[in-house]
Amino acid sequence: MARIPVLLAAWAALGLFAAGPAAAQDKPALTVGAIYVGSVNDYGYNRAMKDGLEEMKKAIPGLTLIEAENVPETAESERIMEGMIQQGAKLIFATSFGHQQFAFNLAKTHPDVAFEHAGGWMQAANFGNFFGATQTAWYPMGVAAGKMTRSNTLGFVVGVPIGYAIGNVNAFEMGARSVNPQAVTRVVVTGGWADKAKEAAAANALIDQGADVVTMHVDSPSTIIQVAEQRSAYSIGFQSIEARQLAPNGWLTGLGFTWGPFMTATARAVIAGTFKPAMVRQGLGQGMMGVAPFGKAVPADVRELVTASADKVAKGFNPFTGPVTDNTGAIRIKEGESWGGADMGKFDWYVEGVIGKAK
Amino acid sequence: MSAALIAGVIASSISSGTSLIYATLGEIVGERAGIVNLGLEGIMLVGAATGFAVTARTGDPDVGLAAAALAGAGVNLIFAWLVVGRRANQLATGLCLMFFGAGLSALIGRPFVGTLITGLPRLRLPGLGAGAAARLASYDILVYLAAPTAVLVWWLLFRTRWGLVVRAVGEDPAVAYAAGRRPAAAQYQALALAGLLGGVAGAHLSLALTLTWAEGMTAGRGFIAIALVIFARWNPLWAIAGALLFGGAEALQLQLQAAGADVSPFLMSMIPYLLTFVVLILWGWNRQSAAPAALGRTWFGVE
Repeated sequence: MARIPVLLAAWAALGLFAAGPAAAQDKPALTVGAIYVGSVNDYGYNRAMKDGLEEMKKAIPGLTLIEAENVPETAESERIMEGMIQQGAKLIFATSFGHQQFAFNLAKTHPDVAFEHAGGWMQAANFGNFFGATQTAWYPMGVAAGKMTRSNTLGFVVGVPIGYAIGNVNAFEMGARSVNPQAVTRVVVTGGWADKAKEAAAANALIDQGADVVTMHVDSPSTIIQVAEQRSAYSIGFQSIEARQLAPNGWLTGLGFTWGPFMTATARAVIAGTFKPAMVRQGLGQGMMGVAPFGKAVPADVRELVTASADKVAKGFNPFTGPVTDNTGAIRIKEGESWGGADMGKFDWYVEGVIGKAK
Repeated sequence: MSAALIAGVIASSISSGTSLIYATLGEIVGERAGIVNLGLEGIMLVGAATGFAVTARTGDPDVGLAAAALAGAGVNLIFAWLVVGRRANQLATGLCLMFFGAGLSALIGRPFVGTLITGLPRLRLPGLGAGAAARLASYDILVYLAAPTAVLVWWLLFRTRWGLVVRAVGEDPAVAYAAGRRPAAAQYQALALAGLLGGVAGAHLSLALTLTWAEGMTAGRGFIAIALVIFARWNPLWAIAGALLFGGAEALQLQLQAAGADVSPFLMSMIPYLLTFVVLILWGWNRQSAAPAALGRTWFGVE
């Protein structure tokens, strides 16, 4: 007779035990929406974003990811993000620079949804901004280029000459100059983040003008790297380290984004209700950026130099410490001053040694 | 103006002008038959995507090229049916075709973005190294065939009976009908040929110039080609000059940037379009109109 309450208690306990995980599986832990400006198969920017989001999805069981590729940087993106919010997204990653205003508009009308934008500057109570501190990370790339060039001419293809992109060129040239005082960098602007035909012509133009190391700041490095490989020039990649497959002979090294840790931490914060938007810029050694493996053309002593330079940057070395002169001879950063992460969008001048006009 | 810069500009203008030549030739054939095709951009995109997709699938760029040409012809025949068979407004239908082509090409190309292909082989003259001089002498087959194709199209339009019928239909379909010809058939045939050439133009971009596919990669070249038809005064031989001029302007602004010109890159990127403007204004000064008289007008048949 006394067994019955014990049995009932055991059944009840079993029931609670079984019901617990079942209840948790009924709804997703979090629905995340992400928009890409191009295709994720671009060996570049969008691929790196996708890899980061996949890492986040794997790390958090029960997370649902809604994605949209080829979302233009127009009001269309607002519509698409709105659609994701209607499907229950509580965290939106707007991954391209030009999506900023539209995501910001939605942040105002949806205060319960968290927004993270890549590469801009706007912030709000539910709108944060993140990017790799690319500028200082380009310095070791310049070291690699400066050491490997024989013609002392380096080529840089820039998509849209925003301050951050110009800062990348500047750090690149400064890195090259630090090991090769005669190195110059020629810059060609294509006008868009992904105009493939123009990128091919731009890379050819730089090589015609004598560049034997070519690099870029565009969405996908693939076209430029392929042109460089075809014309037997060295290439340094950007955005995604997978691009090295495209240049078996000419690949030197590259910079890639490792977004996974930041995205996972953000998603966890949203789930826990502790999401605090901020202006996040992480450089080499802080989790968002990594140096790609070296190509076979790079000898051991250059590899050591580049790795040492990358470590220096990871430990806090800032090449933008005065005095820094621009390419017209004017002093832009005075002795004793230095430009930190928040100033990186302000560049509208090229350093000494860069051949090009910033605006 | 160094030798490297000039050689680079010539080489680049030939490369990037080739797809413009084919597109312009196609549009000339269509307009000579009296039909304005504003959807040339869509045709080129479909050609580029199909060529890339078939090459990625089969591994053979020649098969991809053929597929691109056929796809371009196919889409243009849809346009032909709407405009000739159903007598729809040519301008509006052309614009619809542009959007349709953009969407269809995105659909075709989506599974293949990022795929690496072996493009059309470059026929290189041996012993010239890798500098600008070598680039001047090594192109894919489409570049070498561009001028002969223009001559062929000229010969077709001006030295064959078929061409005579097409031009007659473009000038006055009623008269051609009275002479016993079938204007509709001539227009269908002209548009099929125009679609073939447009598809090849798009394929050159994806199979030879960039070896990639990206949505919208023609970046307005179709519309430039339509302007070049006017520049060429509807004569295929002049199309070569026009395409080289525009291709050269685009190459020039990039080469000047690389050489370090002290001009804002934003102003530089306007150069090709300003040049087109100037040329059209200067050309328009001559009042004698060389356009086919019935261009853009729908023929409703003899009632």
